Amino acid sequence: MSRRYDSRTTIFSPEGRLYQVEYAMEAIGNAGSAIGILATDGVVLVGEKKVTSKLLQTSKSTEKMYKIDDHLACAVAGIMSDANILINTARVQAQRYTFAYQEPMPVEQLVQSLCDTKQGYTQFGGLRPFGVSFLFSGWDSNFGFQLYMSDPSGNYSGWKAAAIGANNQAAQSMLKQDYTEDLGREEAVNLALKVLSKTMDSTSLTSDKLELAEIFLLPSGKVKYQVCSPEGLTKLLLKSGVNQPAAEPSA
Amino acid sequence: MSIFEYNGSALVAMVGKNCFAIASDRRLGVQLQTVATDFRRIYRIHDKVYIGLSGLATDAQTLYQRLVFRHKLYQLREERDMKPETFASLVSSILYEKRFGPYFCQPVIAGLGDDDQPFICTMDCLGAKELAKDFVVSGSASESLYGACESMYKPDMEPEELFENISQALLASVDRDCLSGWGGHVFLVTPSEVQERTLKGRMD
Amino acid sequence: MECVFGLVGDGFALIAADSSAVNSILVHKSNEDKIMVLDSHKLLGASGEAGDRAQFTEYIQKNVHLYQFRNGIPLTTAAAANFTRGELATALRKFCFGQSPYFVNILLAGYDKEVGPSLYYIDYIATLHKLDKGAFGYGSYFSLSMMDRHYRNGMSLEQAIDLVDKCIIEIRSRLVVAPPNFVIKIVDQNGAREYAWRESIPSV
Repeated sequence: MSRRYDSRTTIFSPEGRLYQVEYAMEAIGNAGSAIGILATDGVVLVGEKKVTSKLLQTSKSTEKMYKIDDHLACAVAGIMSDANILINTARVQAQRYTFAYQEPMPVEQLVQSLCDTKQGYTQFGGLRPFGVSFLFSGWDSNFGFQLYMSDPSGNYSGWKAAAIGANNQAAQSMLKQDYTEDLGREEAVNLALKVLSKTMDSTSLTSDKLELAEIFLLPSGKVKYQVCSPEGLTKLLLKSGVNQPAAEPSA
Repeated sequence: MSIFEYNGSALVAMVGKNCFAIASDRRLGVQLQTVATDFRRIYRIHDKVYIGLSGLATDAQTLYQRLVFRHKLYQLREERDMKPETFASLVSSILYEKRFGPYFCQPVIAGLGDDDQPFICTMDCLGAKELAKDFVVSGSASESLYGACESMYKPDMEPEELFENISQALLASVDRDCLSGWGGHVFLVTPSEVQERTLKGRMD
Repeated sequence: MECVFGLVGDGFALIAADSSAVNSILVHKSNEDKIMVLDSHKLLGASGEAGDRAQFTEYIQKNVHLYQFRNGIPLTTAAAANFTRGELATALRKFCFGQSPYFVNILLAGYDKEVGPSLYYIDYIATLHKLDKGAFGYGSYFSLSMMDRHYRNGMSLEQAIDLVDKCIIEIRSRLVVAPPNFVIKIVDQNGAREYAWRESIPSV
């Protein structure tokens, strides 16, 4: 391996790779997974909680989903402390836009702005990249509901369905098979729970191992970001039939 | 004419029984010329905190935009709304930041605390808070407003009576000030709902 | 003696501005275009210090274009107005070597598909207000009064132009050093464009 080219972010390897960025993506491959699905009337984000001790007493209501602005939210996979910095940056960028233009920041512009920040850590300053991938979901008046995925390199793209974190390859191929264009929010939730149950390592799916958030429009026209309560999540898991323990592995 | 009276304004907030009312006039002027008769001076920070900004309109707009910025970030990080007392301290510190080049505004802050107890306060353009248990006023019509409120105010008024009183006090005062008037805006806030009403007064 | 005024009609907004460039007692030219076309559906009529006017309006125009190039979508009229106000507000408190306040009064008219036509009044100290009819300068004393008398909501283009002509006649007859020539530009769903000139002496 080209060990001599991987200790600094600011140099390319002879094969034209940035090893620090790739190692950052490795770190995310060990983190709890998150799935996002674009439905016709909203966006659904589902996340796997890795830390589920009953001794845990958090002040925040969610571990993997965060609200960036009234019309924007994100799901996180990777190093949580890095994620906190970037989420704060994203929140401030969204407010700065609103301060200047008195309008909510278009979703793609926020993603672009945050990715520009992430790119800076792969080119100058000698600091390591952020070990976080994001799934941004939101609504704006230009393009309606949108879902974007971004990674430590600062690349981003828009998706109809995407997965990040552990087993994201398997989740992505499952989504490719089962996703259809005309999914409503309920069906999207079912699909997300189904895919997550198949790709998660744990044997049974209970509501304390998951988080579910949705972005949709209220009848008044305002955008709503709603995190599902644990009781609601249990009901959904029962309804979609995914909380059965995993089948015995075949011999 | 002082810079505080360049645009003309009148603001008053009053405490009732588990409710509060905050009212403003609607005139936007440039010294003696009237530019608009539907100008809003009272802004909603969240369901239980309202701020009215009198004085120079441009500084009121800038200050309001900065407060929204700070409050939104607080809401996102704390996952709850700001208490009225905390918000008043935030306004005070933002104003004092500009001690040697101040925003020419006098805010009036009104809110319902955690236990639904009403809270009102005003401050000068440098952030010196003035808490009151009954009413606070600010704007070019403030002297008339002090007199009108002092005589009309009663403690523990029910919402409807509070609305009557604050409206009468506002309309009577702006009629004696040529720089404010053209009707009024009143927000009546109780723990369960917010009523916003427009008053028609002397349209001059 | 600059005059800029504007109004909103049925599916359109228009701005009329005088077209003399004056230095003390000398008229440099009388066909100066003071209404800048910001983008396909926005107009910016400006009056004030000549250098500031030309420089600031061009700065805003280029920034509006840059936003569109960077993001693939145009700014809405409200966003452009708030951006303009923000630039004026920031410059207002800068008295250092690099920057001083811009002495430019602005009327920004635009058409958005979702909202329809709108007119924003932004004065030189960055007071922003959305209006149906607005005016700046000495001419405002006459044009505002004419518009108060004859303006109604949802006027047709013919009626609006007729009102503009009434205002111009009033300015010409009652303002002591009245500008002789005016330009009128409109913006509607088909875009922003020049509508007419009103010349009482041939331009030089």
